[in-house]
Amino acid sequence: MTLTTILSKLAGGMLTSFSIFSLTLIFSLPLGLLVALARMSKNALVKGIMRIYISIMRGTPLMLQLLVVYFGPYYVFGIKLSPNYRYWAVIIAFVINYAAYFAEIYRGGIESIAPGQYEAAKVLGYSSSQTFVKIILPQVIKRIIPSITNEVITLIKDTSLAFAIAVTEMFTIAKAIASSEKTLMAYVFAGIFYYVFNFIVAMIMERIEKKLNYYH
Amino acid sequence: MKKNFSVIAIVVVLAALFVGILSVQADGVKTLIVGFDQNFPPYGYVGEDGEYTGYDLELAAEAAKRMELEIVYQPIDWDAKDLELDSGTIDCIWNGFTMNNREDKYTWTEAYKGAGQVFLLAADSGVTDYSGLKGKVVAVQTDSAGLYAIQDEENKDLLDSFKELLVIPQYNEAFMELESGAIDAIILDIDVAKYQIEGKEDKYLILDEFLQKEEYGVGFKLGNTELRDKVQVVLDEMAKDGVFAELSEKYFSYDSCIMAACQPEK
Repeated sequence: MTLTTILSKLAGGMLTSFSIFSLTLIFSLPLGLLVALARMSKNALVKGIMRIYISIMRGTPLMLQLLVVYFGPYYVFGIKLSPNYRYWAVIIAFVINYAAYFAEIYRGGIESIAPGQYEAAKVLGYSSSQTFVKIILPQVIKRIIPSITNEVITLIKDTSLAFAIAVTEMFTIAKAIASSEKTLMAYVFAGIFYYVFNFIVAMIMERIEKKLNYYH
Repeated sequence: MKKNFSVIAIVVVLAALFVGILSVQADGVKTLIVGFDQNFPPYGYVGEDGEYTGYDLELAAEAAKRMELEIVYQPIDWDAKDLELDSGTIDCIWNGFTMNNREDKYTWTEAYKGAGQVFLLAADSGVTDYSGLKGKVVAVQTDSAGLYAIQDEENKDLLDSFKELLVIPQYNEAFMELESGAIDAIILDIDVAKYQIEGKEDKYLILDEFLQKEEYGVGFKLGNTELRDKVQVVLDEMAKDGVFAELSEKYFSYDSCIMAACQPEK
């Protein structure tokens, strides 16, 4: 296999990894916020459900969750699976898993805001939704960026779990090339791909962090 | 306000579930989805051009063509092969798939290839027979024919003589371990072993004695005789047309076909 073939194959796999990565973020970041708010809800039932949900998502391996999301519809409900569902099962499993982690990060951020902020907003005549969106949330985001960066970087590396349900992302392709070519070349390139990608992500996150650092 | 948010949260979760369930439904395209381990040359692997190829995949493609089905190569995680087959996400496993000890677990075609499990070692290990395996670390792929063979009652003494039997997820990891000296031997299919040491014959040796002789077939979900029968018909045609002989020569340098239809008519 020529170097160009190896690289183009890996790049194709990277595209899959990247699409899992970005779709997961797009859905799990907002979902995580909603879960966090529901988790802090005064309604005991909603609060309890979210507690159990977060506990299960954090307490079981992501690989197991992938298998359950993918094969569950067939084994539990007897629905025949379509090949297209493979990819979506990966997205669903990643989104619900990461949303649980993000939810706890959001909650930590929201609970760290001093009560004085709410009182001041009330005095100034802000409604409770205005208070949250305009005063609390911007401060929360500022505080939680480093924790979010941690999760985002882990997510890139977690995409390699997708092969548990046979979605061929980059690392799977690297393994296949390594086995047919009998060299470790593909692994080296895979490592470089991951590193460069993570490097870019870390750089972007750092820039966002700096931009939000407007009081210093 | 917070109450509103929790309602929205639940709606979003339900919507996501709904989209998921919609995409679960199968479409009606006529395909033959072949499940295989893509790390298993020469039966199924990534070829020179980066596309899937291999002895079994070429056979499957020809069979699909004759059945007027569109072939879909679906690389699978070997651990999940039964889940995939049961749930219908693949139609068959066509992948140097050993029938021995699995006769009752799948619906099989007639065996099309003879094979066997052997031991692969480094040439400088100096091992020549099974007695030399005493105190060695031996690797075998998870849920493979080699694993069942070594765990068979008959081979208990041999297994007990090993220092350790290491069950690894994929063969290519085993080769890396063998190359680096972390393990001493691998139990694997003879033709896979030959493919791996091609060009490195001086560095490896294969013990002559077979741990288990076996046969390969195409495996379908238990009870799926309808598709099995259709595939069997085209396999017989392909045998008569010399497709088996030709491909076998290409991948193994000998005619490995053992189907009745492959034998010269008397």
